[in-house]
Amino acid sequence: MKQTFISIGNTLIPYLVAITASFLAAGLFIGMMGFDVLKAYETILLSSFRSPGAFAQTLVKFVPLLLQALAFTIPLAAGKFNIGGEGQLIVGAIGAAGVGIVFANLPIYLLLPLVIIAGVVFGALWAAFPAWLLYRFGINEILTTVLLNFVSFSLIDYIATEIWRDPAAGHPTTVPIGAGGELPLLMERTNLHAGFIIAVLIAVLVYIYTNHTSAGYELIATGANARASRAYGINVRSLFLLSLILGGGVAGLSGAIEVAGVHHRLIEGLQSNFLLLGLIIGLIAKGNHFGVPFVAFFIAVLEIGASSMQRTMSIPGEMVFIVEALILLFILLSDLVRKK
Amino acid sequence: MDQFDSFIGFARLILLALVPYVLASQGTMLSGRTGVFNVAQEGIMLLGASVGFLVALYTKSLLIGIVAAAVAGGIIGLALAYFSSTLKMDQFVIGLALFFIGLGASSLAFKLVVGVTLQLPRVPTLSNLRIPLLGDIPILGEILFNQNALVYFSVLISIALYYYLYQTSWGLELRAVGENPKSADSLGVNVVLMQYATTIIGSALIGVAGAYLPMVYTGVFTQGITQGRGWLAIALTFFGGWRPQLILLGAFFFAIVEVLSLRAQIVGSAIPYQFLRTLPYITTIFVMIYAFRWTRVPAFLGLNYDREKRSLS
Amino acid sequence: MTPSESTLLEMRGVRKTFGPVIALDNVTLNVKRGEIHGLLGGNGAGKTTLMNVLFGLYKADAGEIAVDGRVAQVRSPREAIGLGIGMVHQQFLQVNSFSAAENIVLGTPLRNRPTLDLTTPKQKIRALSEKFGLSLDPDATLESQPMGVRQRVEILKALYRDAKLLILDEPTTMLTPQQVDSLFNSLRAMVKSGLSVIFITHKLREVLTLCERITVLRNGKSVITLAREEATEDTFIKAMVGEEMNIGRSLLFAKSSYETEIAQVGSKELLKVDGLSVEAASQENQVISDWSFTLREGEILGVAGVAGNGQHELAESLMGIRPCKGKVVFDGAEMTTLVTRDLLARGIAYVPENRWDDGLLPKATVAQNLILGSHRRPPYSNGLMLNLGAILKRSQELIDEFKIKTESPQSLAANLSGGNVQRMMLARAFSQNPKLMIVHNPTQGLDIPSTEFVYNKLLERKRAGMGTLLISENLDELFLMCNRVAAIYRGRIVGVLERGQFDAYRVGRMMSGLE
Repeated sequence: MKQTFISIGNTLIPYLVAITASFLAAGLFIGMMGFDVLKAYETILLSSFRSPGAFAQTLVKFVPLLLQALAFTIPLAAGKFNIGGEGQLIVGAIGAAGVGIVFANLPIYLLLPLVIIAGVVFGALWAAFPAWLLYRFGINEILTTVLLNFVSFSLIDYIATEIWRDPAAGHPTTVPIGAGGELPLLMERTNLHAGFIIAVLIAVLVYIYTNHTSAGYELIATGANARASRAYGINVRSLFLLSLILGGGVAGLSGAIEVAGVHHRLIEGLQSNFLLLGLIIGLIAKGNHFGVPFVAFFIAVLEIGASSMQRTMSIPGEMVFIVEALILLFILLSDLVRKK
Repeated sequence: MDQFDSFIGFARLILLALVPYVLASQGTMLSGRTGVFNVAQEGIMLLGASVGFLVALYTKSLLIGIVAAAVAGGIIGLALAYFSSTLKMDQFVIGLALFFIGLGASSLAFKLVVGVTLQLPRVPTLSNLRIPLLGDIPILGEILFNQNALVYFSVLISIALYYYLYQTSWGLELRAVGENPKSADSLGVNVVLMQYATTIIGSALIGVAGAYLPMVYTGVFTQGITQGRGWLAIALTFFGGWRPQLILLGAFFFAIVEVLSLRAQIVGSAIPYQFLRTLPYITTIFVMIYAFRWTRVPAFLGLNYDREKRSLS
Repeated sequence: MTPSESTLLEMRGVRKTFGPVIALDNVTLNVKRGEIHGLLGGNGAGKTTLMNVLFGLYKADAGEIAVDGRVAQVRSPREAIGLGIGMVHQQFLQVNSFSAAENIVLGTPLRNRPTLDLTTPKQKIRALSEKFGLSLDPDATLESQPMGVRQRVEILKALYRDAKLLILDEPTTMLTPQQVDSLFNSLRAMVKSGLSVIFITHKLREVLTLCERITVLRNGKSVITLAREEATEDTFIKAMVGEEMNIGRSLLFAKSSYETEIAQVGSKELLKVDGLSVEAASQENQVISDWSFTLREGEILGVAGVAGNGQHELAESLMGIRPCKGKVVFDGAEMTTLVTRDLLARGIAYVPENRWDDGLLPKATVAQNLILGSHRRPPYSNGLMLNLGAILKRSQELIDEFKIKTESPQSLAANLSGGNVQRMMLARAFSQNPKLMIVHNPTQGLDIPSTEFVYNKLLERKRAGMGTLLISENLDELFLMCNRVAAIYRGRIVGVLERGQFDAYRVGRMMSGLE
């Protein structure tokens, strides 16, 4: 018991130090620019907890961040870097919106599952291409997944301006999906939707898969040393393929949830900067699937704080993004200190 | 658009589009040749674009802007060198972190300096520099010797890098560091110094590649102005086999695809412009199928050399 | 000459630690001008660490180095080279894609730096190589060269820099007995021309043949320095292994008492290989062409050869890692088409040669490493879910039995030292209790007591009627443990010798393709 307590402490201390150091650095900069530092801190950290609505908003933000992080960390367990979560999200959203629009009249018990499944399948297919290139030709997945993000930007632009365009909207946007494709709300008078439950469920399943099953062990062994894993009977190439497709499916799910839970339509730019935040979350959590949801929640709090700060204090939200990147940098540095 | 239709205009555009690819890719190659694999290009280019633009805007000098972009890139390079060469941290993860910081800082700096305006501030674009005599050669003179200074610079730096790496004993030592740093170290070559120098200079080149975009293409800075050119530069580095001369050649291919895609978008065609816009990314992916087969990467690329580490022996 | 004038190098009170590990403790070494000085000790005794300190690769925590009577600071290889020290590392430090000449001149102050004109350096290289019998082609790219030539390049690197003290770290491991003789002749020629040589080895026989004086290291301490004539073989053995081992009952040192037991073999065929062939995957390694052999129950079959002649391919094709042609029958069933996972399940275990690349999961825990390959079978798993409690319990048992030095089963495997990685791989293989074990250089990096432990384990398996395929570059090991030894050269079996016919020079000829 005591042992566990110490080991949790040992894990948390570097995080607290990293967060403090990043905030100090950002505070110094904010102060130099002539803003009120303490008020900025307060806004960043506490905005999420000021009202039930703000808290619900945080949880809504938490959903795509968590899923994008998982889309990155599942392949990461096998040593593969999926930097294509953005494209997989967009294509997943396209699939979900397409089903939601085409079958708009289906009842909720049919349409909603179809919308969600379409998102997963489309996201997985978008990841399957780089995964196949890796499997078949041994092409590094990092560049192919990144480049496909740029392709997806064009794709969503085409769909939202040419195929299912909503003529009333100024921004490239499609017509809404059928009402049966919308995720139900969990709390009245907030926009917290049932996608939150799906995301948490996925996180739990991923944790069990990677940490408690033989199949998940193979994933981790492959990530630790693919060549040795192969020498001991693990089919590493198939695992690369599988892990990237799973990651793509989870990213596609995040796209479907954005469509079904938040926008109820396809909007260009709905991917926000979820990919980058997902990468930061996954790296801060060091790929540990127990830690990912907690880090994702923390980053969601910061992001809600960032928009509030930009609104009320006119400090650009990028400030918080840099804080998040600095936290990552300090976490990486703390590993070094511990090794010494 | 006669720029596109006349042969001369078309060829000139290709040379124009060559520059960011060449500079960013040679910068990647240079540090890679000492084993430091830089993946922060996209962030460095964005920072270079933002800083270069803002400095040029306020000093009214594009040259100072370019120098500032190089310095900004160099600072990221210094950080990358410190984290990888001195602290031996995972180069890829550090590169990603620096990519995030460059991305955030580029947009933050712009918003803090310029603020939110409807009318985006502009800088004049880089003017052409006609080379005396050579510029008077018919057709060729117009294509090759009446370009902006960075076009000449990117070709000259490629030639210089080729000469340095393959024809001098300094280059021999530099390449040895990326192939087997322990061997180089055991023969008295200063591995750490080499890695710092190449990473800083390489990142400075990448910064200039970023500054080129607002200073030559658009005259304004917009978020995400690089449109993935940093990532494409990495692909080009592999395509060029980590050799300066082949990178220059390969850059022509990237530039031609970009110009063709632009031309088709402007002139109009049966294919929706959205799909034409994806041409550079799609072709790059297919190019990689070919490039990864024959490319010989520096043997120590992406790995950190630690003199006292025992487990590798 | 007074004693101090005859001394070229003195190291006094050298101490070096890696984290909690004390690698060197108050070590003293004294090398005279014009002598071949043997540095003898088991693996992990600290020989290489000491020489890396001398060469400026490691920074000592304490101690003093004096060259030519003057105390010197050696903070980097550059400074060591400046003092006239040259070192040939066990794993060659070469740029594979460079030519021999480029490798040799690298880092030297060339007169014509901006043009990379190597005409003059090449003349010097040719002169040196003729003088000391180290023939090579200066323009050949190293990756295409055999190990013997690459070793000459390493020696020439030092000679080219006018070294007066040459350190050779285990230089004979990759050579045939004939090549060893030729190396020894070159070294004797160098000493005659005034150089001093430090010769690092764990093979007593070699130092007794070659060296004038011998320093023995054990557990990071210098035990004794003696002239060859001053002492018997036994004195050196005792100095190497210390008191913890009973030499009289040791397999390694009292072989004859185990002879009958080792010579015994069962009658039933366990493994039958017929026409095994492997296509070339890369040009570096030789393919395997048409190998046929059998291995009986309780037999230890040895494979002898210079590294890179097909050993790795043999192991990998038998383990199903590498595609191959031919027929393999194991325990009465054909298994040519089976994949690695099925082979492991049928009772074949593997200890790969390249422990860092093929054996270790550095980013996983020691426990996760130990279950690799058995991770779908009881007691570690019910096929679907892992049994974390059973994994920890069994791992701790293996850590204790095989004396793997680690804080806990949950520690990161990247922190294991080379010898402990080897113990971990052996623990993994032995714990599967396999009917057939394929082991490739199983005792590399192990100290003498651990080597003894492994040999005893192999003997235990033999008693239980299980088979072992022992692939090794160490002829002493093969001759000690095997019932038969197959000598290979360029992917072919040149011949098979029975126990009793074992003869190092004969096998050496076969390994070089001369027979």
